[in-house]
Amino acid sequence: MIKKLIIYSFLFCIAIATQAENTRFVMSAQNAIELGKQFRLSFTLNERGSNLKLPAGLSDNFDILMGPSTGQSTNISMINGRTTQVVNYSYTYILRAKKEGEYEIRPASINVNGKVFESNSLKIQVVKAQTKPSQAQTGGSQTQGSTQNVDLGKDNIFVRVAMSKRNVYRGEQIIASVKLYVNPNIPIAGFDEVNLPTYEGFYTQDIEIPQQINFTREVYNDKIYQVGILKKTILFPQQNGQLVVEPFSLALLVQQQVKARSFFDDFFSTHRTVKATITSSQVNVNVKDLPAAPANFLSGVGNFNIKSDISSNQVTTNDAVTLTVKISGTGNIRLIKNPELQLPADFEVYDPRATDNVRTTDNGATGTKTIEYLFQPRFEGDYTIPAIKFAYFDPAGGKYITKSTPEYLLNVTKGSEEQSTTVISSLRKEDVQLIGQDIRFIKQGNPALRIRNYTFFGTSGFYLIYAISTLLFILLFIVYRKKAKENANIALVRNKKANSVAKKRLKAASGFMKKNNNEAFYEEILKAFLGYLSDKLGIPIADLNRDSAVLKLQQRNVTQEVIDDYIEVTEQCEFARYAPAEGSEARNELYKKAESTMSRFEKQIKK
Amino acid sequence: MTKKTFYNITLILLGIILSLNSFAQEENTQLWEKANAYFTTEEYQQAVSIYEQILQTGEESAKLYFNLGNAYYKTGDVNKAILNYERAKVLAPHDADIEFNLQIANQFVVTKIEDIPSPFFLRWKTSVTNKYPADTWSGISIGAFILFLVFLGFYIFSRKVSIKRMAFWLGIIAIVFSGFTFSFANHQKRKIINRNHAIVFCPRVTVKSSPAQTGTDLFLIYEGLKVEITDSLSTWKEIKLADGNEGWLPDSCIVKI
Repeated sequence: MIKKLIIYSFLFCIAIATQAENTRFVMSAQNAIELGKQFRLSFTLNERGSNLKLPAGLSDNFDILMGPSTGQSTNISMINGRTTQVVNYSYTYILRAKKEGEYEIRPASINVNGKVFESNSLKIQVVKAQTKPSQAQTGGSQTQGSTQNVDLGKDNIFVRVAMSKRNVYRGEQIIASVKLYVNPNIPIAGFDEVNLPTYEGFYTQDIEIPQQINFTREVYNDKIYQVGILKKTILFPQQNGQLVVEPFSLALLVQQQVKARSFFDDFFSTHRTVKATITSSQVNVNVKDLPAAPANFLSGVGNFNIKSDISSNQVTTNDAVTLTVKISGTGNIRLIKNPELQLPADFEVYDPRATDNVRTTDNGATGTKTIEYLFQPRFEGDYTIPAIKFAYFDPAGGKYITKSTPEYLLNVTKGSEEQSTTVISSLRKEDVQLIGQDIRFIKQGNPALRIRNYTFFGTSGFYLIYAISTLLFILLFIVYRKKAKENANIALVRNKKANSVAKKRLKAASGFMKKNNNEAFYEEILKAFLGYLSDKLGIPIADLNRDSAVLKLQQRNVTQEVIDDYIEVTEQCEFARYAPAEGSEARNELYKKAESTMSRFEKQIKK
Repeated sequence: MTKKTFYNITLILLGIILSLNSFAQEENTQLWEKANAYFTTEEYQQAVSIYEQILQTGEESAKLYFNLGNAYYKTGDVNKAILNYERAKVLAPHDADIEFNLQIANQFVVTKIEDIPSPFFLRWKTSVTNKYPADTWSGISIGAFILFLVFLGFYIFSRKVSIKRMAFWLGIIAIVFSGFTFSFANHQKRKIINRNHAIVFCPRVTVKSSPAQTGTDLFLIYEGLKVEITDSLSTWKEIKLADGNEGWLPDSCIVKI
């Protein structure tokens, strides 16, 4: 036996190695059956084969009731003039399970053109026999043609939301399938109303499933059901706490056999369509909050990898450089924020462009998110494009994992002059960007404190300044006025005093005369006249002589007679000063003449 | 002899008073420095209490109110910040920093009020008046008056006709200018003395049509708003908003600037 097996497997290996793969030998059967019920085990082969060997140990668990019944189908197709012919051979056995349990049917083998092929293996679950759903409860009273709501029993038909996990972290993906369970004995005619669940609190992504609902057999609570998947969705919880998927309802059209009311009814309208509304039960999902996140956590939950690529690291100024960052993996890829790239400040940076390519399969959402950072270095030099640190939460490990891209060195050389100048001019035009707003800082230095409500204005000191300045002005005015007046009066004073001074001199002269001091006498008379005229006429003594005095006197309309007298007196005096002394008579006469002349001057020279 | 001792005693007394005054001044300056240091190290609460302590001594200045307003702003008390900025603004009407911070603080005020546009000449007058505080205007007024006296002197004493004529006109300009600046100073002084503006401190207050709780509700105003007090009756104040609305509210809800 073992020897045979080894040979078979050896031959099988050879067959795989040599034979073209287009030989297919497939075994199929329902995966869930009831105890005591017949079921088919069929083999299909696309080539003519012989010597079909049933799987070993098959008869231990199953009764072979019938078989093999062979069948052949030919499929000829012509596409663009090419004809292809496919022939399928089938072998069918009718089996019945002996015991409950889960069985594996090992591969069967068949000989095709002298080579042995093995089929796949199968798993079959056998459950105990089920009671038939009570069909067609009542007969007569139902009106025909209209659909009616019936209750078929919760065990026979129900719908539920199957969650892959019930206890997750926020952002961790859950696969939710809306499954319809139907007792195999209830024929479904179609759907009337389908209200699929709304997943509140989740970010959802639908998994594509075929439009046509494929019913498969499945054992649930030890019963066989036809199970159809109505919808598959990947859920990403966005809130913490208990999230509830609210119940939803389906209305199905079910064919029911109607009990014959009469003999003829057996021939007509033995079936009718009824409506069955089924409601799912509520499903709770417990969402845990993520632990304290590191700084560069971009809300990625799952399992990711990060890669980056730079378009060039040898560029000239104003060349565009693209740094492509690819985040790939399984998880909430669409919800991952763009990582921030810290570029040197004088780079012209454009908004990053992000594209994502996410496939949703039964294993969850997988795919890539590609972020392109476009920037232009403005000035030459060596720059470092820093590494991007990317942290994500791994729900399996329950911790954060940080991955990083490499650093890049960017060597920028000077580009053509023309370009750079135009760009720089636009760069210079940039306004100051307001980053934040805050009040201005406190004032420093001398606080300049004063008594509250004190102002210099309105104080007596304030008004005093006005008053004092006005007073000062008036005082100044008065003083100035007086001074000016005085200045103007000096001549007048002298004029006024001239007569008295002259009289004093004449008096002195008369005194000298009495003492017989001739010289002093004449001298005094001359001085009296000179002083008098100088003061009266406003001529300085230095400029005064007889001629100028006469001229001035004539201008002042003094009579010739008086002038002649004056000339006579002065001539006599000058003469007498150097001549020998005269008699006292003559001096007396001269004195009198001088006196009278003086008084006449006084009368005639008014000013 | 007695005259000389009297003179000496006066001198000593004067010296004591002056030194006392300067001592208080010095103490406040020290407090001021301390408060500024607290502000710089972001200990705003301490800064507030020290600034208030300086105010307790009965002294004030625009800078002090400004810094106190800043400290209140940083502690999150926007109403008091606005109050102190407004007080600073009364003393230094044309300070750009005060204006700026007041504007920022006013962003927190819920009630938004559009000013009634006043005629252009009034706006000009206000803007010119607010250019300087009262004392600067007084100084300018005094200067202009003295200039007037100088021109008057020229007019009276000059012998040249051209100088006389020029001095005459310049003198008239100077005295008119002095008069105007005097009135500006007077206006500013009145603003300081009267303080007929107030800041609303109640989070939400209903303005009534009469000074009683039974009065008709006219409108609602929220904290931080600046209002003008136009009248008062027992514990009620009649207020006027910048948009011209008037009404009565309890005086516990407002604090005078």
